[in-house]
Amino acid sequence: MTLEIIKPGLETSVQDWPGRYGFWNQGFPPSGPMDSWSFRLANLLVGNVVGAPALECQYIGPTLRFGAETVFAVTGADMLPTLDGAPVPLWQSVTAQPGQVLAMSFAKLGARAYLALAGGIDVEPWLGSRATFHKAGIGGVGGHALKPGQQVPLGVPAATAKAGLIVEEAARPVISTDRRWEIEVVAGPNDDWIDGEGHARFLSADWKLSGKSDRTGFRLDGPDWTFTEKALHKAPEHGSLPSNIIDQGYPLGAINLAGQTPIILVNDGPSMGGFINPYTVPQAAFWKLGQSKPGETYRFKAVSVAESQAMARSLAALCTDASILSSIV
Amino acid sequence: MIYPEPRYLPGGDRYMLVEFGNEMNLELNFMAQGLAAAILEARIAGVIETAPCFASMLVHYEPEIIGFDDLRAELSRLVAGLGPSDALELESRLFYLPAVYLDPWTRACVEDYQAKIAPKTADWDYMVELNGLRDTNDFVRVHSGTEYWVASLGFWPGLPFMMALDPRAKMTAPKYNPPRTWTPGGAIGLGGASTAIYPEQLPGGYQIFARTPVPIWDRAQRFAAFAGSICLFRPGDRVRFVPCSVEEFETIEREVADGTYQYNMVGYGKFSVALYKAWTASLGARRTS
Amino acid sequence: MAIEIRTLTAGNVWKVLVQPGDIVAEGDVLFIMEVMKMEVPHTAPAGGKVTAVYVAADQEGLDADAPAVDLEENA
Repeated sequence: MTLEIIKPGLETSVQDWPGRYGFWNQGFPPSGPMDSWSFRLANLLVGNVVGAPALECQYIGPTLRFGAETVFAVTGADMLPTLDGAPVPLWQSVTAQPGQVLAMSFAKLGARAYLALAGGIDVEPWLGSRATFHKAGIGGVGGHALKPGQQVPLGVPAATAKAGLIVEEAARPVISTDRRWEIEVVAGPNDDWIDGEGHARFLSADWKLSGKSDRTGFRLDGPDWTFTEKALHKAPEHGSLPSNIIDQGYPLGAINLAGQTPIILVNDGPSMGGFINPYTVPQAAFWKLGQSKPGETYRFKAVSVAESQAMARSLAALCTDASILSSIV
Repeated sequence: MIYPEPRYLPGGDRYMLVEFGNEMNLELNFMAQGLAAAILEARIAGVIETAPCFASMLVHYEPEIIGFDDLRAELSRLVAGLGPSDALELESRLFYLPAVYLDPWTRACVEDYQAKIAPKTADWDYMVELNGLRDTNDFVRVHSGTEYWVASLGFWPGLPFMMALDPRAKMTAPKYNPPRTWTPGGAIGLGGASTAIYPEQLPGGYQIFARTPVPIWDRAQRFAAFAGSICLFRPGDRVRFVPCSVEEFETIEREVADGTYQYNMVGYGKFSVALYKAWTASLGARRTS
Repeated sequence: MAIEIRTLTAGNVWKVLVQPGDIVAEGDVLFIMEVMKMEVPHTAPAGGKVTAVYVAADQEGLDADAPAVDLEENA
């Protein structure tokens, strides 16, 4: 069973969840889907385990032809998917017949759509994962995003895979329609480098997502940061800017302050470097990053470590078969 | 300073940054690597992976298995049990890497930057100037005359950050401002006090002055030295640069291309922090020959 | 016949290569958007004359499917 890639879209890649773990100390980011909420639900719809390899489509989706009868589902951003020209509903499992063409266009709402295929995607794992780090040429199909003409092999579907399953509405992420997002953040690791006014300014400002953003980092435009003594008077080996620090490990989701520019380190981001991280976006808020578009506005809301862990737990509870219903009531 | 107790700082819902101090001091990296080894041996349930850096260590944990406070308690216990870093013996392989110093490729890259981005003193001259050396030959002798300790890897997959183990060879230089948009793959550079090797063509900010023909990054996993990974180095490895000519570089390049190149890796050593410290204490001032 | 060329993606406008009155051939690049640090060129689907341009270089935060360039197709 294969998928033939007719048009690859802007950057469509195989991802699995939670991605490539265990090689952080060699500089490998986890990669994986930015919106793991939509990703997990897509897999459940087609009878896969939540982390099975599936396609992440960014901004402009692919066009592909099914080689065999295949149960599939599209979740996340609405890229106006059609099957042989007929609209395909999101958040539902659908059966494609051999030779049928699934076409996905630009994202009308959101930024990233997820296409799960029953049986997952059967490419060789790299260091234990099929997640793609496109810029470094790791994972996925030959290390990169999909290319036209490729034949992507699919795995063996579960016996339970069938069309007509639907994600309960209450279990779906709600993509913002007013171009504004509230993003949860946890203070730290380097929150003591920012002074009280700096913290207040960060948490009360509108931050604009810059177009110069991608899976390695989400750059934000907004007000300046102000620093404590710790940042302003330190040993010269840290570096000359207030936000410079002796090179340190970067948590995934860190809001990395490069000079005065905050860059949220996302799935393919650097694992270490010489700038401070005053806040970190927790995993459960990543789906919002994944669905937001350049020019949209973030407002940050501080939550505790415990609260951020509870958020992840709630999300995990939604990403189970309990959220999957038969659409035939 | 070296903190009397490490600081345990939260990174979102599933990361912890352990800070051992706030200065560039190999001691702090030994502590980070020692703790990483101890965590592996203790098999703490819920720790997914660790990544040491110069003076700190990142821990990635699963909050459903272990909470932040419990993890901190476990790590404090391990740190106390480790005792002083002098007691540490770390697994450490030694790699001999051929390198052309003052090579034509980094020269072309620097000239490209000077022409298109900003004027600057050529990197090798800058190293001489900043570190009180006689001339570029002196610089090559000093830079290649020490083993380098792989303190951490990151920023890009497979990119090693290394510290000179011989304190008499310690040099420093600021990074490019603005950074280069490209660096030849295999380039060797220095930024702050750390030496790095660029695994492939990448933007970068270190001062560059040499190039190795030997891949430190092998997607196709053709070479046994990579031991099942895509990148050559692990934290705690050591590297010795062996100056070679452009002709030797090209010969080695051919051997790499046809898969016959044999890495020169000494795999039986353990690094003793106590012996290392005793040795550094016995050294005099900068070597002059 | 009037053709409306619309943005293929959300993102920023990097370069605009035409202005009203320009004659273009099928396949000519009219403007280039940038998203995820990638260039997305927008080409003329047919030859004709540019009658309106609604985008400007460095314009930020456009939606997908927004009006960008109007073309009067050659007869």
